[in-house]
Amino acid sequence: MGEVYYITTSGTLRRDENTILFENQDIKKKIPIENVSELFIVTEVSTNTKFFSLLSEYDIVAHFFNYYGYYIGSFYPRESKLSGHLIIKQVEHYLDKEQKLYLAKSFVIGSIINSEGIYKIDTKEHLEALKQASNTQEIMQVEGNFKKLCYKALEELTGWDFEARTKRPPQNPLNALISFGNSLVYAKVLGEIYHTPLNSTVSYLHEPSEKRHSLSLDMAEVFKPILSEGLIIELLKSKAITEKDFLEEAEYCYLNAEGRKKFLRAFDDLLKSTVYHPKLKRNVSLKTLIRLELYKLVKHLTGEEYYLPVNYHSLKR
Amino acid sequence: MRIILFYDIDTTEKKGQRRLQKALKTARKYLTHVQKSVFEGNLTASGIERLKNEMLKVVDKEKDSLIIYILEDTTNYKREILTNIKDPTDNLI
Repeated sequence: MGEVYYITTSGTLRRDENTILFENQDIKKKIPIENVSELFIVTEVSTNTKFFSLLSEYDIVAHFFNYYGYYIGSFYPRESKLSGHLIIKQVEHYLDKEQKLYLAKSFVIGSIINSEGIYKIDTKEHLEALKQASNTQEIMQVEGNFKKLCYKALEELTGWDFEARTKRPPQNPLNALISFGNSLVYAKVLGEIYHTPLNSTVSYLHEPSEKRHSLSLDMAEVFKPILSEGLIIELLKSKAITEKDFLEEAEYCYLNAEGRKKFLRAFDDLLKSTVYHPKLKRNVSLKTLIRLELYKLVKHLTGEEYYLPVNYHSLKR
Repeated sequence: MRIILFYDIDTTEKKGQRRLQKALKTARKYLTHVQKSVFEGNLTASGIERLKNEMLKVVDKEKDSLIIYILEDTTNYKREILTNIKDPTDNLI
């Protein structure tokens, strides 16, 4: 529970008495610690260890992005929800080829069915190809081919040029938006993983390498079409974000501070928006939907129920 | 649940000044300070209980006034800021 707070103006963040104080020349603002669930720091701030120990005390994950809006990393407090049993299950599913393939495919299926709702493209062929895939590489290939179609549709829907996917640095506004949007989704999923007993480094579609929370990359596949691409289409179609919101040079393109603020506001609104959950028989926010998806994964790993990715567009609003 | 809290601390004695400072610090931990002695925010049921407990330890039950509104999540309400100040409860800073 509690709010996600987004810091987009530079300043200092520190502990003051028993709460968080954000301060710069113009603003002095206290953030009620009991009401913070997560922090997105999308600018340059200075801070100290006392601030981090306060976050740790309250189990608050903080995500940091640099001046250009690149994801730097997250402060992931000492975990309080540990389960050795589940970690063993996670690893078992990784080591068993069939099990690993099942989960890797599930995440891509999630990505495809949720993209279908956004782009309205035919997915039959790709889902069929996915069924035939016998290793991760082939799955990635199917996903790659499908993504190409999506990006083409994205160009048509928004009327903006995409050309090819370029990262580090993105070279045009659409690429800049996708980079920023996707990194927000990774961070958000990671923030939810923290509150489950899942270990964020054991993954199935992406290789679990060092220094990465790769399980959040896996689960993000399911939510990227909704929380990143869908949002981009909406923002560009409604002209909420225009050319003025980008910082464009010959070699790179980034969202400027104003553009980032608009994007974050829309992202937050979307996370708070609710859909009807047929199983729980009540409305849940998208933020909760991410958490529920992770619990479904837990149930799959412990052998209670097979994991099937959520079809967002089939849920009633 | 949406919470609105306000207090009136009797500061005729010096002790009152200290209670006022303490009340401010405690309330700030849970809620956003929106006006002089008015606070707003969202809390869970357990958060509300903790807030009540902590506040009651600070105030003088005979001399001070402490009032809290609790709006259930299902309550429909409209909140309008009629002047040009920035919304103090904004979560985008």
